[in-house]
Amino acid sequence: MNLRIIGALISKDFSLFFRNRFFALMTVFALITYLTIYFVMPSSVDESLKIGLYAPVMPPVFEQLQEESLEIEVVESDEALREAVTEGQYVAGVALPADIMERFMLGQKPQITLYFASDTPEELKDAVVVLIRELAYLQTGQPLAIEMSEEILGPDMLGMQIPPRDRLRPLLVFFILIIETMGLATLIGEEVGRRTIQALLVTPMTVKDLFAAKGIMGISLAFGQAALFMAIVGGISGQPLVILAALLLGAVLVTGIGFLIGSVAKDMMSAMPWFLVALIPLLIPTVSVMFPGLITGWVKVIPSYYLVDTLHRAANFGAGWGDVWQSLLMLLGFNVVIVWIGITALRRKFR
Amino acid sequence: MAGDAIVAEELTYWYGELVAVDHISFNVAEGEILGFLGPNGAGKTTTVKILTGLLRPKGGKATLLGMDVAKNVEKVQGEIGVCFEDANLYEQMSAIENLRLFARLFGIRSFDADALLRRVGLAGREKDRVEAYSKGMKQRLMVARSIVNRPRVLFLDEPTEGLDPASAESIRNIILEERERGATIFLTTHDMMEADRLSDRVVFINQGKIVALDTPHNLKQQYGKRALKAKVSTHSGELEDREIILDTPETANAIQELFAQERVVTIHSEEASLEDIFIRITGRGLVE
Repeated sequence: MNLRIIGALISKDFSLFFRNRFFALMTVFALITYLTIYFVMPSSVDESLKIGLYAPVMPPVFEQLQEESLEIEVVESDEALREAVTEGQYVAGVALPADIMERFMLGQKPQITLYFASDTPEELKDAVVVLIRELAYLQTGQPLAIEMSEEILGPDMLGMQIPPRDRLRPLLVFFILIIETMGLATLIGEEVGRRTIQALLVTPMTVKDLFAAKGIMGISLAFGQAALFMAIVGGISGQPLVILAALLLGAVLVTGIGFLIGSVAKDMMSAMPWFLVALIPLLIPTVSVMFPGLITGWVKVIPSYYLVDTLHRAANFGAGWGDVWQSLLMLLGFNVVIVWIGITALRRKFR
Repeated sequence: MAGDAIVAEELTYWYGELVAVDHISFNVAEGEILGFLGPNGAGKTTTVKILTGLLRPKGGKATLLGMDVAKNVEKVQGEIGVCFEDANLYEQMSAIENLRLFARLFGIRSFDADALLRRVGLAGREKDRVEAYSKGMKQRLMVARSIVNRPRVLFLDEPTEGLDPASAESIRNIILEERERGATIFLTTHDMMEADRLSDRVVFINQGKIVALDTPHNLKQQYGKRALKAKVSTHSGELEDREIILDTPETANAIQELFAQERVVTIHSEEASLEDIFIRITGRGLVE
């Protein structure tokens, strides 16, 4: 390979990329937009637990149901309580029967109904149940029968202890990376479609030089922006080398996909549908990070899973090489295959 | 005596069932302009692609400047310039940027793009984006790009196709200047007048095979017929055409009789064109 030629090609491609107003704007716009999204999202987790209580008659001991980080709000009816829990105003609802005091007096077991939102963590459910039993025991000196009722409201957010915006980081980084696929694919497609490739191929430039130049250009554009984003949002501070390695492998992945799309596209418009075809499946693993438990193990067949999983674990939980090496290795393996397919497809196109 | 810049020996190439180039052999001497003529689909472009290293021949051998093209693609491509039929410039870049890019690819350190652009008549527009150029300007820039590296062998594919007379003439002048410099020129064209005027020798290629290779003069001698074309005035005052074939034993008598018996209004000699000769040899026209 000839470094002088590769340098000339990279310089030419960067020049063409930023002369395309759409790509220049998209590059800057995407970075600013994703940074804005990150910074406007909550930076902390609200750990106070709101519980709704419907009590036609308030037993004295239940008035003590105020603990640190446990906020009780009394509602006026069982119906209102169910509705509030369903809408997510409370993580749990406690409905006491009207005859609770009579039953306590008679030594009978009143029926207390507990309502939980579907995303209420199991440990919290257990805590509320234990709390009610303790209170009932304090009130009567005997255990109570408790009927529990659950409403399924949406995805299970079990274990969401990190701020939403940090959970969003892998998704935003993925968008920053993948958007560069469009630019690279369009540059390659136009190189073939407008036959400038022929003019290049009758110079001392080799096909290897060409692939090296396109590869370096695609990787540096994607990696540069993603690394800048992560640096600004503080995602690199914990495990910088792991994060940078993941971003580099992610940039190689989107470059390989750019080669593939470039082999079938002639210009930006024809690249767009292919871009969407690639984008949609690759996006799925980012959802699994946003909403844990929503997507099961099959997501591991999608290469981007190993990128977002590594970024999520390293940036949000401080996972090191020992924790993520398997994911990085899988991502590397996917990259080798995708880049090889991309180069093979493009070689056929160059003929 | 100059050596051969291009030697094609039994070159063969096929696309699936279609034999595009069928065992063709020819040579081009250094400093020679060879006109490569044939209708669309005759095998011209495939031949050029083989000679420039874009395609590897499936049979035979191509040698440029003493180097086997298939084995020395990079070296060969450092010595050639290629001007394609369709404009394939970086349209969002200026003329000067296009030329500088290719100068860098060829490893030329001191390159005077302005001088080259002046030479092809693009001075004053060198910083405009190519997308704003007319077809003639783009074609002149294509020619300029093909000579950035002062190539020893220059391939020109329909360099004047669809251009206005002034642009076409300026490109023909550049071709002649390049030949003066010592470049060997492989010229593919449909323009028979151009081929006749510029080429030292011409090749007729048809259905992948070379059907004739000689100087335009010899081809005309061999295959053409020279004739006198006259317009005579009849008794009723109408004009009629008369034709006398030259170079035959009866020519002298026929001319004598024409002037003795008819009232000649105009008379001129006419040579067969390369187009006529191609049709005579192949039974088909060059432009279909």
